Amino acid sequence: MDILFSTEEHRFREQCRDWLHANVPAERRPMDAAEAIEFDKAWQRRLFDAGWAGINWPVEYGGRGLSIVQQVIWLEEYARAHAPWIGANFVGINHGGPTLILNASEAQKEYHLPRILRGEAIWCQGFSEPGAGSDLAGIRTRARIEGDELVVSGTKIWTSFAHVADWQELVVRTEEGSQRHKGLSWVICSMHAPGIEVRPIRKMSGQVEFAQVFYDDVRVPLANVVGGLGNGWKVAMSTLSFERGTGFIADQVKQSQEIEELLERARATGAIRDDRIADQLAQLRAEVAALRAMTYRNISEVVRTGQPGPEASVIRLFTSELGQRLERMTLLLAGEAILDFRYGEDDLVADYLRGFAATIAGGTAQIQRDIIAERLLGLPKSR
Amino acid sequence: MDLTPSTEQDMLVAATADWCRENMPLEQARARPPHLWGELEAMGWTGMTAPGMDLDHASEALVFAELGRHLAPVALLATAVAARWSPHAGPAALALLDNHVPGGSLRVLDPHGAVQALGVLGHLAAVTPLPADLGGEPGLDLSVPIVHLDPAPPFEALPDPRAALHLQLLAAAYALGCADAARDMAAGYAQVREQFDRPIGWFQALKHICADMAVRCAAARSQLYYAACAVDADTPDAAFHIAAARQLADQAAIDNGRANVQVHGGIGMTDEAYPHLCLKRAHLLSFVAPARRQTLLGEAA
Repeated sequence: MDILFSTEEHRFREQCRDWLHANVPAERRPMDAAEAIEFDKAWQRRLFDAGWAGINWPVEYGGRGLSIVQQVIWLEEYARAHAPWIGANFVGINHGGPTLILNASEAQKEYHLPRILRGEAIWCQGFSEPGAGSDLAGIRTRARIEGDELVVSGTKIWTSFAHVADWQELVVRTEEGSQRHKGLSWVICSMHAPGIEVRPIRKMSGQVEFAQVFYDDVRVPLANVVGGLGNGWKVAMSTLSFERGTGFIADQVKQSQEIEELLERARATGAIRDDRIADQLAQLRAEVAALRAMTYRNISEVVRTGQPGPEASVIRLFTSELGQRLERMTLLLAGEAILDFRYGEDDLVADYLRGFAATIAGGTAQIQRDIIAERLLGLPKSR
Repeated sequence: MDLTPSTEQDMLVAATADWCRENMPLEQARARPPHLWGELEAMGWTGMTAPGMDLDHASEALVFAELGRHLAPVALLATAVAARWSPHAGPAALALLDNHVPGGSLRVLDPHGAVQALGVLGHLAAVTPLPADLGGEPGLDLSVPIVHLDPAPPFEALPDPRAALHLQLLAAAYALGCADAARDMAAGYAQVREQFDRPIGWFQALKHICADMAVRCAAARSQLYYAACAVDADTPDAAFHIAAARQLADQAAIDNGRANVQVHGGIGMTDEAYPHLCLKRAHLLSFVAPARRQTLLGEAA
């Protein structure tokens, strides 16, 4: 075991740092939703042109084909340089893309992966439904086969970036009368197809970042099925295990920065003289360190065995709850100034309110605990 | 960068665990037989990183986590540190110098057969020779005899600050092992104990208690690995990483110790059952070179 990086990795880190130092935009991500999307796309394009998009994606689809350790180094430097949040490219880069790499046909990969990396195609995720949240296998949105097309009808909900997305990773029931995990398919659905209606939903933070999507006989080419008809559950789980494994490294790196900023603020305001605050900050700093150690250990596991270890779900849970503890500390240090918060402001209060997503989206903290107890500790399945 | 144990380290851990199960089971931790210490010495665990041994702290921490899981004698902690840093040779008892009030009596843990006592005072470890046959009576942790020295003898500080870090690291490993033991005991019981015609581990209320125990262990274990590697690489932030490992391992040990009693229900409150052994050990370890807040906050002493 060791925590030292190789000479080559050190050199790579310097390259990351130099480029980011010269290229991170000085202006903030715009508040206006339409402007924000343009900002996200332009920044992604700039990353791609300079060779910083898809660091561990295959070279043949526009990636760099580098190691996962180099990907981690990039993300560490990215956060350190205060580079922009990935924004609307989140689903494509962290979800759709990795799923396609693992499961898609040559043609599907050739078409979609470079467009995701270049920031030309925004993706959204169509998994959850009003009746299928934690119980994802209860999906009812169905697709019947007509010739070489699927005809989709139903509804999806909590779909981030639905109003701006070009494509959706959509899980639908393609086998009539099938139950639970069987008879589902993972398809690439154009968000510009006729019959799609997007109804934005406002969050308690005031932001409109997700939506309910309705499908009224939406036609999707059968060629857009990924991983074969009826294999949707398996394909969807490959995305989720990716998400639990390495998809949250960027968040984790950001948290290590947040604790240092909190500490600086507490010192500047004198809040640190309060023993309770000092104790909490000390605890948070230890937890953030542990999160990095857990991530490094998980990455080492990936390097060694090709996949994240079973403790990946522990990291996912730990990250999400630690993020919320950091947001609460931010709020505590801000004091009663938070009472002046208004809808439309994108500040620490908005971060706090929107941070609830961390223990709800992509598997609630309770579902994560079930998984940990069942898979790591061997307790009986209760579902 | 590689934070997974090597094949050799995995073998070392497996061999340690096998030996402990055979010769030092947790279930017999109430009182250890007098010949146990000689066997521990023979296994080489009293001086893994002593001069000339060439073992790294990462391997040592891995082994000590296994020893801690079986509630091994705490004198091993002091003895292993003394073997590397003390001018005196021989077994060392553990002196609780941290909270010692000058003029008051000093608690020394596990004094049987010890020729010296070692503890941490401020940022430095300190030692003192001990007279033979000090005696000592079991206290909260039934496996650890305690003797009160009144007045406390003068201690000689060891100038290298790494000695104190070494003790903190090994204590973190012991606490992690203790937390692991409580987690496994609770999960094992939740699989076999039945109520409402099914194993209690079927119920989310119990399942989530056990999941949280696993989370605490995973965080503490990863940080322990990182800290041990930081010591081996002699990085400037090693003291912080050890403090973080110590803090998280302590919390894991105490919180898991408590949760384990709860999962066991009525039997968990008894002397006859084993959960209290882990809980009591956790409380004892929390006084052995605990993490300092200034170190966790990255403030200079």
